[in-house]
Amino acid sequence: MNLLTAILQQVEEYPDAVALQDDTHELSYQSLALKIGAVCLAIRKAGVTPESRIALAMDRGIDATCALLGILAAGCCYVPLDINSPEQRQQFIVEDAQAAGIIGTGQCPSRWSNCNWIDFNTLTEHDCQFPDTGSTPLAAILYTSGSTGQPKGVALSHRAILAFTQWATHLLALNSKDRIASLAPLYFDLSTFDIFSSLAAGASIDFVPKQLAMAPSRLSAWLAERNITGFYTVPSVLGFMALKGNLAETPLPALRVLLFAGEVFQTEQLKRLVEFLPQTRFYNFYGPTETNVCLYWPVDAERLVDLKPIPIGKPASQNQVKMNPDNGELLVKGPTVMNGYWNEGRLHPATDDDGWYATGDQVSINNHGEYCYHGRLDRMMKCSGYRVEPVEIERAIQNLDGVQMCAVIGIHDETAGQRPAAVIVANTECSIQNLRKTLATLLPAYMIPSRWKTVPALPLMANGKIDYSALDNLFA
Amino acid sequence: MEIRTPLRQFVLTELIYCDDINVFDDDEDLLEAGLDSMGIMRLIMFAEREFKVTLPDTEVEPDSVRSINALIGWIEEHRK
Repeated sequence: MNLLTAILQQVEEYPDAVALQDDTHELSYQSLALKIGAVCLAIRKAGVTPESRIALAMDRGIDATCALLGILAAGCCYVPLDINSPEQRQQFIVEDAQAAGIIGTGQCPSRWSNCNWIDFNTLTEHDCQFPDTGSTPLAAILYTSGSTGQPKGVALSHRAILAFTQWATHLLALNSKDRIASLAPLYFDLSTFDIFSSLAAGASIDFVPKQLAMAPSRLSAWLAERNITGFYTVPSVLGFMALKGNLAETPLPALRVLLFAGEVFQTEQLKRLVEFLPQTRFYNFYGPTETNVCLYWPVDAERLVDLKPIPIGKPASQNQVKMNPDNGELLVKGPTVMNGYWNEGRLHPATDDDGWYATGDQVSINNHGEYCYHGRLDRMMKCSGYRVEPVEIERAIQNLDGVQMCAVIGIHDETAGQRPAAVIVANTECSIQNLRKTLATLLPAYMIPSRWKTVPALPLMANGKIDYSALDNLFA
Repeated sequence: MEIRTPLRQFVLTELIYCDDINVFDDDEDLLEAGLDSMGIMRLIMFAEREFKVTLPDTEVEPDSVRSINALIGWIEEHRK
C-alpha cells in the first residue's frame, strides 16, 4: 500500500465525483487518474527511474496536484519548490535533492536548461497502470530553513505521510460529502492533509484563491458560497478572519471542522472565532515538519481563557511522546517521524538509537495530562507559520558587501508570532535599503528582517559569544 | 487629529522597513514594498486603536491599503 492506493480505489468506485476544483475548473476522479497517467508516462519517457527525486516547480492548485500525484505514480519522490522564492534558493534545492527531473509549466527557464524538464501544459490525458511501490520509498522531501545556514530537506516516506493522513481521515470522519478548502503551499506539510486525507476519503479539494488571505471577509464569503466543510490552515489566516472576517453576517453552517497548526493561536482570537462558529469543531495540531502531527488538542471552548495559551494536547497518529526531564525537550517516536534529512543526495537519519526524534521544542505537562508548548530550546523562530533559522539569515547578510558582522534575533510580533530583526556592524557607506534589496534575491520574503539596527560592535558575553539577550533591548 | 504623520511612521518603520521615511512617496505600492497579510492585520489594529475608528470588515481589501494615500482616504472616510 502507498499514498495512491486509497485514491485509486476512489477512482474505481466514484469516477465521476469531483476530486479537485477551483473558481474556474473542476476535475473528476476519473480525469484526475488520466492526468496522473499522463505525468507518469512523461516521467518514464524522460528516462527517469523509480525512487528518483523530481522537483515540482508549480504553484499550488489543480495542475500541481496532478503533477505531484503523477510523480508518486512513477515511483518517484516529489520535491516542491517555492517558485516565488529567489532563484538561487530554488537552484540550491534542485541540486541538493539531485533531482532527476523538474516538472513545470511552459518553456524551461534558462537556469535549468541542463535538466530534464517536463512541461505540464504539453501533457495529454493517458490511461496508465501504476505499480504499487509499497510504503517504504520516500514520497516527499520538504525543504525547510536549516541551522547550517542552508535549507535542509525533510525526507518523508509514503508510510510516514500515510500514518498522519489516515489518522486525520479517521479522526475527522472525512467522507465523500466533504469539501476541503486548500490554501497551503505544497512545500508546507499541511498540504499532505489537503491532498492525501481528502482524496483517500473521496472528498473534493477546493483551492482557495491566494488573494483571499488578504481579504478576510471575502474569504468567509468564499467558504460559505463553496459550502466548505473542512479547512486546515495557519492561525494567522484564521485570526484575521476572527478579527475582520464579517462572520457576524456570514454564518458557515457547512463548516464541520477547522484545523490549525504552524504557530501559536492567540487564545483571544481563537475564542472569538469559536463564538462565531458554534457548530464547527476546532483542532490544534502540533508537530514540526520532521514528525508531522504528533500531538493534537480538540479545542474545548470552555477552557479558552484570555491570555492563557492553549495546550498542544495528547499523542496523535499513533506516535509516542515523552519529555526530557532535564530540559523539558519534547521527544517523539513513531510512524510519522521522517526518515531523516536529505543532504547532497543521501539520507542522514536524525533519531537516536531507539528511534526518538528530539524536537528542540520545550514543553510541560498540565494537570489534564496534556502537553503545553513553551518555545524553542535553540534560536529557531516561527514567522507567520514559517520556521526560520536565524543562522541562515545571518550567513546571507554577512556575505553582503559592506557588512562586517551580523546577528539576527526574533522579535515578538502580535500577529506574526515573531519577525526576524538584524543587528549589523557595517561600513559607513552601507545602506540598509540596498542590503534589503540584495537580500531579497537570496532569501524568501518572510526571512527578510523587518527591523535593522547598525551598531559599532555586537555585544558579547564573557566567553566571547554574542549576547543575544542584549540584542533584544535594542528593539524594545 | 492629523493622521498622516503617525500612520506613515508606523507603516514605514514597523511594517516595511524604510531607510529614510521622508523620501517615501505616499502613492508608492505598499504591497510591492513588502506589506503582507499579517502587516495589514497589524495596520488595521493600529489604525482602529490610534485613530478611534471602526474599519468595516467588508472593506478590508488589498486596494484599501495599497498606498499611504489610499490608507489615509480609507481611514478618513470612517472618521467623519
